[in-house]
Amino acid sequence: MAGASMGGAATRRALVVNAGELLQRIAHTLRHDIGPAVDAEYPKTQAFMAAVVLQKLGRELALADAHRTADATELRALAADLVAVCTMSAPAGAATQRGAAAASTVPANAATAIDRFAATLDQKSLCDVIESLYAARAELDAAPVDALLGRIRRTLRAQIDRRLEFAK
Amino acid sequence: MSDATRNDPQPNALVPRIRDYVAGRLGARDVTLEHVERIAVGWSHETWLFDAVWRDGAAQRRLGLCLRRDPGNALLRHLSTLETQFKVLECLEHTALPTPKPYWYESDAAILDAPFLVMEKVAGTCPSPWGRDGRAFYAAAAKRGVLPNSFTATLATLHTLDWRAAGLGFLGIPAPGKSFAQREIAKWRELIAVSEHPPEPILTDLIGWLEANAPSTDRVCLVHGAYRTGNLLIHDDRVSAVLDWELQALGDPLYDVAYVLSDLNREATPLLSNLVDRDDFFRDYESATGIAIDESVCRYYNALYAMRSVAFWMSASGLYASGKSNDVRLARTAYSVPDVLDRAAKELGY
Repeated sequence: MAGASMGGAATRRALVVNAGELLQRIAHTLRHDIGPAVDAEYPKTQAFMAAVVLQKLGRELALADAHRTADATELRALAADLVAVCTMSAPAGAATQRGAAAASTVPANAATAIDRFAATLDQKSLCDVIESLYAARAELDAAPVDALLGRIRRTLRAQIDRRLEFAK
Repeated sequence: MSDATRNDPQPNALVPRIRDYVAGRLGARDVTLEHVERIAVGWSHETWLFDAVWRDGAAQRRLGLCLRRDPGNALLRHLSTLETQFKVLECLEHTALPTPKPYWYESDAAILDAPFLVMEKVAGTCPSPWGRDGRAFYAAAAKRGVLPNSFTATLATLHTLDWRAAGLGFLGIPAPGKSFAQREIAKWRELIAVSEHPPEPILTDLIGWLEANAPSTDRVCLVHGAYRTGNLLIHDDRVSAVLDWELQALGDPLYDVAYVLSDLNREATPLLSNLVDRDDFFRDYESATGIAIDESVCRYYNALYAMRSVAFWMSASGLYASGKSNDVRLARTAYSVPDVLDRAAKELGY
């Protein structure tokens, strides 16, 4: 096959640029070569804005693996902590968080939501946990609910700090 | 025509049709449009400025007009129609609040491909407070001291006008208590829902907090919803018109006051809205309205503004993601979502 030489392999290596870096370079071209050459106001703004989007997207992609790993680790730790609170005062033999919650300070609806979150570790389930805590807060003693919310907020703070690394 | 192509790459094709429409309305055959300008600001409705010029016997007549057209895919479209904006301007026309005189509203899309309204082109400029030139403009005006007084006095006029007599009850009168805040939360929840953005736990936390802490008030005023420099036309160092009637409601005047006090609306200056000294604002506003500014309530509304900002940016980025708009500025707003979520988290103390 033509090009299947050492020189060809070197060329192929040179062209393999990761997606994040490629987007950064396209953003640079848009910002420094294409945008300044456009006269009309609307398309010029679009070119510069596209450069901004590609630059941020490039950073997001470059950080994606590390962020995914950190998110997963923290969500697992959060789930473990929430489950532990549910089971802390549970009678021996309670099979689920819901069962445990019956004897703990965690309301049953919140315990159910925590069960589901621990199983899925997804953002929708975490939203459901938060909603259930606010609902419980309106009816029960605020202190245990606030403690659980405080623990969740630690994780949310870390998540948003990571997103700001590429969004800012 | 798809929604996306409504971002009108050939906007000048509309000008002869605008002229024909205006000529018909004025009952004049020889109308020409001069100083035609499509303003490139704002993400909601398209805005055109022009002078209609025609002969009336031996005399030449000239009427400055502003046309706003619904592009069908705009930010906040389903929360704010041009028809409502037109009705609000009609109600305000004979009040002391400076607003553009409304002329015509057309819902018939056959005329200019989309609903539109035509109103008076009021004399004045509207410098953006975010750019270097705008900041310099407001800094110089702050030193002269006339415009800051006009800014506060105009807000006081807004909050003390008799909205019942003006016919603004159609905006919906909140019941005494927490109804106003609850209605605002519901409004922005709706926008968030239609944006189809993935779930955001910080936003859920913020909404839960807002619902649990809604302030109670029995005071009902006309509230603009975005009262700041950049939404006010300025002429001869005074506010010549309050613009952007898209977010108005009947409700707690401190909602507007909180917006004035917000860090959102100033840049590199302690002056409110880049213009007004904070102590002067408190003194002049309270004195002109008799309304005491409760800063704890304003802090609540500031958190509500964080929710509103999240809703804006989710909606805006959703319009681009769904192909309803080709405006890359909207794609950019996907990266504003984490920024406002960060602000929301800080409002909640984390």
